[in-house]
Amino acid sequence: MQTFFTPAQRADPALAESEAILRRCVHCGFCTATCPTYVTLGNELDSPRGRIYLIKDMLENDRPATAEVVTHLDRCLSCLACTTTCPSGVDYMHLIDHARMHVEKTYARPLPDRAIRALLARILPYPARFRLALSLARIGRPLAPLFERIAPLRPLAAMLRLAPKGRPAAAPSDVSAKPLASSAAGSKRAIPYGNSTPASLSAAGAEAAPPARRVAILRGCAQRVLDPGIDAAARRLLSRLGIALVDVPGEGCCGALVHHMGREEEALGFARRNVDLWTARIAAGGLDAILVTTSGCGTTLKDYGHMLKRDPAYAEKAARVSALARDITEYLAECDLPALPARGLTVAYHAACSLQHWQKVTLAPKRLLAAAGFSVREPAEGHLCCGSAGTYNILQPEISAALQARKVSNIEATRADLVCAGNIGCLTQIGAATSLPVVHTVELLDWAYGGPVPARLAASARFAAAE
Amino acid sequence: MSNATSHAAEGPGCAPIAFLPPRPDVLARRDEIMAALTELVSAGGVVRAPLALKPFETDAFVAYRQPPLAVVLPQTTAEVSAVLAYCHSARVPVVARGAGTSLSGGAIPQADAVVLGLSRMNRILEIDLENRTARVEAGVTNLSISEKVAAQGFFYAPDPSSQLACTIGGNIAMNSGGAHCLKYGVTTNNLLGVTLVLIDGTVVTLGGKHLDAGGYDLLGLVCGAEGQLGVVTEAVVRLIARPEGARPVLFGFDSSEEAGACVADIIAAGIIPVAIEFMDRPAIAICEAFAKAGYPLDVAALLIVEVEGAEAEMAAMLAEIVTIARRHGVRTVRESQSATEAALIWKGRKSAFGATGRIADYICMDGTVPLSQLPYVLKRTGEICAGFGLEVANVFHAGDGNMHPLILFNANDPAEAAKAEAAGNEILKLCVEAGGCLTGEHGVGLEKRDLMRFQYSEAELAQQMAVRAAFDPLWLLNPSKVFPLEGRPA
Amino acid sequence: MTLPSMSSPSMISPAMILHAPRSEAEVVEIVRGALAGATPLALQGGGTRAGFGHAVAAEAGLSTSALSGILRYTPGEMVMTALAGTPLEEVEAALAGQGQRLAFEPADHRPAMGTQGVPTIGGVFAANVSGPRRIAGGAARDSLLGIRFVNGRGEALSAGGRVMKNVTGLDLVKLMAGSYGTLGLMTEVTFRVLPQPERVETLVFSGLEDQAAAELMAAAMALPADVSGAAHLPESVRGRFLAGALPEGAATLLRLEGHAASVAIRAETLTRALGARAPLQRLGPEQSESLWRAVRDIHPYAEDGTQRPLWRVSVAPMAGPGLVAALRMEAGVDAFYDWQGGLVWLRMEAEPEAALLRGLIAKAGGGHATLLRANPAARAAIPAFEPQPAPLAALAARVKASLDPHGLFNPGRMG
Ligand SMILES: Cc1cc2nc3c(=O)[nH]c(=O)nc-3n(C[C@H](O)[C@H](O)[C@H](O)COP(=O)(O)OP(=O)(O)OC[C@H]3O[C@@H](n4cnc5c(N)ncnc54)[C@H](O)[C@@H]3O)c2cc1C
Ligand SMILES: Cc1cc2nc3c(=O)[nH]c(=O)nc-3n(C[C@H](O)[C@H](O)[C@H](O)COP(=O)(O)OP(=O)(O)OC[C@H]3O[C@@H](n4cnc5c(N)ncnc54)[C@H](O)[C@@H]3O)c2cc1C
Ligand code: SF4
Ligand code: SF4
Repeated sequence: MQTFFTPAQRADPALAESEAILRRCVHCGFCTATCPTYVTLGNELDSPRGRIYLIKDMLENDRPATAEVVTHLDRCLSCLACTTTCPSGVDYMHLIDHARMHVEKTYARPLPDRAIRALLARILPYPARFRLALSLARIGRPLAPLFERIAPLRPLAAMLRLAPKGRPAAAPSDVSAKPLASSAAGSKRAIPYGNSTPASLSAAGAEAAPPARRVAILRGCAQRVLDPGIDAAARRLLSRLGIALVDVPGEGCCGALVHHMGREEEALGFARRNVDLWTARIAAGGLDAILVTTSGCGTTLKDYGHMLKRDPAYAEKAARVSALARDITEYLAECDLPALPARGLTVAYHAACSLQHWQKVTLAPKRLLAAAGFSVREPAEGHLCCGSAGTYNILQPEISAALQARKVSNIEATRADLVCAGNIGCLTQIGAATSLPVVHTVELLDWAYGGPVPARLAASARFAAAE
Repeated sequence: MSNATSHAAEGPGCAPIAFLPPRPDVLARRDEIMAALTELVSAGGVVRAPLALKPFETDAFVAYRQPPLAVVLPQTTAEVSAVLAYCHSARVPVVARGAGTSLSGGAIPQADAVVLGLSRMNRILEIDLENRTARVEAGVTNLSISEKVAAQGFFYAPDPSSQLACTIGGNIAMNSGGAHCLKYGVTTNNLLGVTLVLIDGTVVTLGGKHLDAGGYDLLGLVCGAEGQLGVVTEAVVRLIARPEGARPVLFGFDSSEEAGACVADIIAAGIIPVAIEFMDRPAIAICEAFAKAGYPLDVAALLIVEVEGAEAEMAAMLAEIVTIARRHGVRTVRESQSATEAALIWKGRKSAFGATGRIADYICMDGTVPLSQLPYVLKRTGEICAGFGLEVANVFHAGDGNMHPLILFNANDPAEAAKAEAAGNEILKLCVEAGGCLTGEHGVGLEKRDLMRFQYSEAELAQQMAVRAAFDPLWLLNPSKVFPLEGRPA
Repeated sequence: MTLPSMSSPSMISPAMILHAPRSEAEVVEIVRGALAGATPLALQGGGTRAGFGHAVAAEAGLSTSALSGILRYTPGEMVMTALAGTPLEEVEAALAGQGQRLAFEPADHRPAMGTQGVPTIGGVFAANVSGPRRIAGGAARDSLLGIRFVNGRGEALSAGGRVMKNVTGLDLVKLMAGSYGTLGLMTEVTFRVLPQPERVETLVFSGLEDQAAAELMAAAMALPADVSGAAHLPESVRGRFLAGALPEGAATLLRLEGHAASVAIRAETLTRALGARAPLQRLGPEQSESLWRAVRDIHPYAEDGTQRPLWRVSVAPMAGPGLVAALRMEAGVDAFYDWQGGLVWLRMEAEPEAALLRGLIAKAGGGHATLLRANPAARAAIPAFEPQPAPLAALAARVKASLDPHGLFNPGRMG
């Protein structure tokens, strides 16, 4: 599209970048069709094309954000379904990032909104605080209906409802790394390796020491608190594959949560801190990959290079870190895991937006699951977000609930035995609305390749029996 | 805000297309009109803030823009009727809007108009497989109908490349076509009935699940009328059983003319594949970059020919087509080997216009010519664009002669934009002279309005306008479109 | 549209002046003359359906009989342009010569309607008449690409063109098709044609009740078999086809056309899916040809020596059998079905029972009934075309006025 920026505006690199993004958009409208908020609300203003237009107008005129514009930008889930759809390659993510910063700078949010955002930004990225908050939330849950009735407090109600009912499952104590081959042989499901035993697995068996691969797993923040079992599963599986796990003490929240609220400086703070830690680790002895089991965080990690590219002190380091970031399934897909016989379980695979639309990791999880003997079903409207989207389910509870219901009904229509996904946000959001067990992809893979039955499945008599 | 924006025409080119001057009395009553509309539709159904109106100022014919007076988003036929009745009594122009994917500016508002958006009316109301019909609200997207019945082995045949996004209401208004219309016909051939709200709020039903409704074929008249006769709120469309198999095949040629001649010969041989799509070298490169469909990059022109039916049937038809293609010196023939590959081939083709945005801005022409004229018109199109110093990419529905030259330009360069428009006009004139028409499926809209006299005499235009006036005597429905502004009835 | 009753059964009485212009210019002159003298005109092609519908209160006739001849036929583009008065037979012969044909299979209704004359291509489009292939190949209006016509102001105009796809301006072509000469006289028509198939075959399922037959036809249309004709002939009419050679019991027909190998495959598909439902027989090209011609031309009720009322009813395909069953409870009726059950040819034993029939159609989900044949008294009393709801009738009247403001053409025919 035609744009209207002045030469002075173009001199600002951030604006110049946004202009280049805008210039690519041909206003064809394809993206509207796959946008969860447009599909739900039916208003151009709640569509990617509408938002692009609002942003364009705001940036071109260097206009402070207005309440109306903020409303529609806030409703964006950052799911990036629009980006997958866009034939023209419009980089919506970096445009909306820019817009959110502009909003943060130029718009005074009403007090309750500001308070809730500040609260979230102060709690979620910090595991200790988050753990405490969850305990309080369990106590506070009866207040939810009350908050529900007071519009500005609705996000609080949503928060309370989201807190898991039970205590988060503690990480199984057995984190020890049994070599995969022996553990598999000992289990009831013998794995037919035949002659095609992959090098990585036989090596893990003992004798020949493999060229050690060293990976770190992002420990992150919220997931650690909500479900430590996921990382534990990933660690077990990797260890069994003979991959060395490297600890990076001090590493913390990736910054995504605040980044998507437009709190740029805070986000960059998290990013710089992590970049420093990993860079040190790389210098200290090499790192093949930084694995992420929460795809929402993985996306941010992969974007550090972009986020810090205008910081001369960090640009290069950040790019290196981003280049190492991999989703756990992306990495496992290259590990030659052996094919296992069918196990008579159907899994509805929910593609997290951060995986399918941001990182474009679409086939790896499904292939891994299929190879591990699960029969994979893909729910209809797989491109639509479940409504979790970071803090979205707290800040936009109505739209989030509509998407959650739509997602769950599509999932349940597959008549699968269980649901799996690669992102903690989705697991929580979907789990809250279905009676089907909801687990992380890596938990299923760990189970299939000799690990314990995932906690959420173990709770169900049916799967316990299957084990 | 009431000043229509468009690229200024300086240097070689043509004058920008004018909007009807807004009626000052309507502009003056803006607040009153807003208040009235708010009463007529359910919550959240009126967009009023000036900044929020901007995103409605254009459609996919993005060179022209004009924010409306207001936008209303009704949810039922009754709400549409109430809005129209009000606008009629208050003498406020109305522009219906589906998904805003029109390439001719059909959904571009005018300063004194209320945009009536159908996007909140997006329910599929009834699927009746025994009678092979679907009843849907006007805001339902084209593709979602096919998706809804795919598991049962059916589909809705007209498949505009924009089918992911465009609405059935927009399709009816534009009588949209698509790649597979060569065999299955365009919208009008697959439409059985509509619920139409007239400008005074009267609701009429045309057709239904039965064929060929009695009386005048008003259904046929409304289809393709570009929202000039009324607002469609519901439609009954025909569903078709999905063929046993379908296979797109790529044929690469050394020249556009050879490919064009091959198309004419395939049809002349009495072979009607489901689709024959054409792409020239620039278009191939653009689509391949997006879809990675495996289009050959070393040919000057590519035909995507799709055959369908049982295996033996496809093989037999393909053999005949290959023989003809050989006569035209075909260079590469590649059959898709899997459903995934076939899907990619179509994804590339259907994303062609959008993907063009990666390299340049474009305007898309839509003239149709008799098949025998294809090679000539292709050649002349290239010459015309070269004459203006512009690049052109051709990607179109060749089987029915419906050309889509994409004229590439830089929208931030007003002089070049004006040249692109001028080149487009030349090409459309060429299509008419070659025995064809200005538009095969995208509609006249704003874009080709002032070219209507190339194709029609004064009396013919007057007759069409008289028919239009039988539906909307006050000219309140989308009045800036289709008919040249001068020479309209007082 | 108001539908005033007719006063005389024939369209053009012998006493009338009958203009037969030889050129469009002459048509214009005649129409302008009529305009000046305020003398309405009865338009006619071959006059083969002259006995139908409402009498035209006109003092002069305007015939296309001298506007005859094929102007342009480009088989390679599958398009023909002909003067409106060109006999249908001539058009079909020219097409056959190139291995092509009309997609919509127009009928010859002379036997059923008891009329004479030579059907013209213009008349066929003016009545939008389509045969059994309607369900696969579209109606006449779907084949019509462009026209030249003279409106009620005496202006010669063109609409549409000769290309397959054209959305430039309002689609007056569709409007003129099926308007029975009430909006203007078409002088020239341009239409799309299709290649003739290599092979035609018919699957005949025997002994099915109407409802079961409708279900079978629906099931067939849901298969990837490209059925190009689906008709059901109840036992009462079965004997009137193929000189009684169809097997015992009602016959349900599915027609397949196309490439020989493809027809064989599709016949197999249908047999596999539906063969268990009823005894099945396959007919080759010759028998198919004559069988479908008879379905097309309403053969059972043609030359049946009666003036018994004949209705053409269009409803949703699955609604046909229910409608006939409901009608049978109250009146003597014989019927057979085309268009997968959606086109019902009804012959009433005594009175036309218009009100009853139309009431039942409305109950069955909508559709329309056209009275094709009846004795003069009945025809005088009954609107031949389905009456329309008031808002729609008013709209149609305004449309008519926009083309023929002085009510010059076929006054009274459609209203
Ligand atoms: C990338 C791209 C590819 C395309 N490919 C094709 C193609 O292959 N074939 C093709 O035919 N077109 C194509 N188009 C054009 C466009 O998609 C069609 O014209 C489509 O039918 C428009 O539908 P819409 O819902 O977007 O309507 P809009 O653009 O919103 O409106 C189009 C017109 O319809 C009117 N209208 C909309 N809804 C109603 C209603 N309910 N009642 C009355 N009037 C209404 C509007 O007033 C306007 O005049 C393409 C467009 C794009 C951007
Ligand atoms: C109610 C009805 C239903 C029919 N249904 C079918 C059917 O389903 N299938 C089928 O195959 N046949 C059908 N027919 C038969 C069909 O009408 C004739 O086959 C066809 O009209 C023959 O043309 P003609 O030249 O004899 O026309 P005519 O009998 O002379 O005229 C037919 C009508 O068209 C008008 N007309 C004729 N020529 C022109 C022209 N050039 N311009 C404008 N108007 C003109 C006349 O005024 C008249 O109203 C039906 C007929 C009727 C009355
Ligand atoms: S799909 Fe891409 S080019 Fe099209 S409107 Fe959306 S962002 Fe713009
Ligand atoms: S990121 Fe998701 S919610 Fe936001 S505009 Fe794109 S598709 Fe819509």
